[in-house]
Amino acid sequence: MNTLRASLLLAAKDLRIERRGYQTLGLVIVLGVLIVVVLAMALGTGGAGPGPGAAAILWVAYLFGGTLCFEKTMAVERQDDALAGLLLAPIERGAVFAGKLLANLTLMFCLAAVITPVGILLFHFDLSAAPVRYALITTLGMIGFAAIGTLFAAAAASSRLQGGLLAMLVFPLTLPVVLTSTQLMLATFDPARAQSGAAGLSILVAFDVIFLAASWLAFDLLIEP
Amino acid sequence: MFPPRHGLIPMFWTITLLLLALAGGLLAVYAPTEATMGEVQKIFYLHLPVALNMFLACSVVFVGSVGYAWQRRPAWDDLAQAGAQVAVLLCSVTLITGMIWGRSAWGHWWTWSPRLTFSLMLWLLYVVYLMIRPSIESPQRRALVSAVYGMVAFVDVPLVYLSTKLLPDIHPSGVDLDPAMWVTLIAWSIPITMLTAGLIHARFALNGAVRGAATTEPPVIPTDHRPRMPEAHA
Amino acid sequence: MLISAQQAEFTAERAAAGAAPAVSADGLGCTIDGRRVLSGISLEIPVGAAVSLLGANGAGKSTLLRLLSTLVAPTDGRLRLFGFDGSRATAALRARIGLVGHQSMLYRDLSLLENLEFFGKLYGVPAPRERAMHLITRLGLAGREHDPVRALSRGMTQRVAVARALVHSPPLLLADEPFSGLDASSAAALEELFEALRSGGTTIIMASHDVAQSLRLSRRIIALRAGRVVLDAPSCSLDAEEVLETTGGGG
Repeated sequence: MNTLRASLLLAAKDLRIERRGYQTLGLVIVLGVLIVVVLAMALGTGGAGPGPGAAAILWVAYLFGGTLCFEKTMAVERQDDALAGLLLAPIERGAVFAGKLLANLTLMFCLAAVITPVGILLFHFDLSAAPVRYALITTLGMIGFAAIGTLFAAAAASSRLQGGLLAMLVFPLTLPVVLTSTQLMLATFDPARAQSGAAGLSILVAFDVIFLAASWLAFDLLIEP
Repeated sequence: MFPPRHGLIPMFWTITLLLLALAGGLLAVYAPTEATMGEVQKIFYLHLPVALNMFLACSVVFVGSVGYAWQRRPAWDDLAQAGAQVAVLLCSVTLITGMIWGRSAWGHWWTWSPRLTFSLMLWLLYVVYLMIRPSIESPQRRALVSAVYGMVAFVDVPLVYLSTKLLPDIHPSGVDLDPAMWVTLIAWSIPITMLTAGLIHARFALNGAVRGAATTEPPVIPTDHRPRMPEAHA
Repeated sequence: MLISAQQAEFTAERAAAGAAPAVSADGLGCTIDGRRVLSGISLEIPVGAAVSLLGANGAGKSTLLRLLSTLVAPTDGRLRLFGFDGSRATAALRARIGLVGHQSMLYRDLSLLENLEFFGKLYGVPAPRERAMHLITRLGLAGREHDPVRALSRGMTQRVAVARALVHSPPLLLADEPFSGLDASSAAALEELFEALRSGGTTIIMASHDVAQSLRLSRRIIALRAGRVVLDAPSCSLDAEEVLETTGGGG
């Protein structure tokens, strides 16, 4: 079985399990909404809202929600030692990584699809100025973030690392992606800072390539029954 | 003063401290006082060598991590850990001296200038390396996860640098120094580099000793039952 | 009836490969987290053998099975499985091995059929759905195929776990205490299945607690104690008390 087909099969399996009760998505969406609401309140309920900063706030909600997704999808493999079943199968370990990454990205997109409207509503945030660019930056940012997240979720799952610590491993490593994408968001929606546009986008693509390659290679070392 | 059989290391430290004292003397009497910033500018002689050595320590983490991932010998992990410990120390010094500089040059302790942000992100990167280690129980697993983190973190360093480039910059970039300043800078760089190497070596030895104390010898179970090898198998 | 076209193909391949033994271990050792779990294991198990691994808890039975399944790499020594290098688990080698572990290795939110079909696809079985249904029927679970695994009893879950390991008709089946916690009817069904597999040419290595059952089901007994082989004999030459004494009781 080739790696691409195996990856798709694995991702489809994860999403099928998710559809059995939406346990991960339910949790993650509530968390995302909570983050957005708390930040909206902290930034003042009376005023005009954070304006272009809303994009950055939403982005933070995606990332924290994403970290929870990584933990949950890997926990499925830990239960009843199903991961050993995958590692016994005649497939590349890279396929296990790619499958998990695809499943995680799908869940993160679902999360974004729900909490973005909430953010728009609460922050009076006008996304219509550049919806395609917003989606592009979000997608690119998520790919790099999910690559590192999927890698260290494998480490956390088999090391009995306590829950919250995955975020601690993932955030410092992905700070370049977080910083670049929030800067791009601000540049897109704040006319005063629209100088670093195109360069930032290509930097983001480069980050994705590097993070994908690094985590693909390192996953082989970390994944253990 | 020192036991002769460990002569090399004390000698190394003595030379380092002497050179450091020399560098301090140069700073006090020889280095010119900069026109606009005055005495505070002299923190630069500490700031730059420490910042450069921080990268050296980060490379040591990388080397140790690659070594462990490749050979799985615990000594590599001790080295990577030592590198991270010294990297965090140097990064802290870089941040503090940078902030003191920033206070007098720009009037604020903290600005989101690219290099300050970069140092902060680097500091976080390696502090997490050290903080996450004790929460992994199995020593082999801890070493492996740390090695992967150490490798990815090193790859991350240029990315962090690149990402901070998007921020507006007020940090001095080109170094425009007169000869006396160069002499002082070099006089500081040598003992600081020696200090870095010495600290990494000391931490490496200490980490190894701590690990040695933590791992108990596996119990030897006497077996008085010899395998019985019959003539034929099924 | 359990022999699929795939297994026939393997049998042919095996003949072509000059009948390399299923397992050939030389001085095999394994250290996990600084603890010596196995040392100096030297074995040769021919194709088609039925072997029971006996030993007390912590003697190293599970680790040895995980080593033979390629899940864990040996720390030292040499391991060859069907002539392949056992420390480098290639896809071709993994396709020849089935492992029934301590845990079921199943997704409890998916149904029996979904689980088996998924693993069938992963192993590249030609008609995974049919193969899954065939195994479900063979193991007496027909009618329950759409139930999620979490709804099954311990005995039924164990039968599905065995089906999972057999989904690609492996010529080598490794089973870690497959009979533990089973009721009489499940145990009987499983025993009958193992017997059928053995007569079909499958090599079976089974770790067990039950000495009497091992003597009945296997042709050869290998006993481990503190990570070493302390007994390796045909089961017809042994009686239960002798084995118990060698393994240090509790075995």
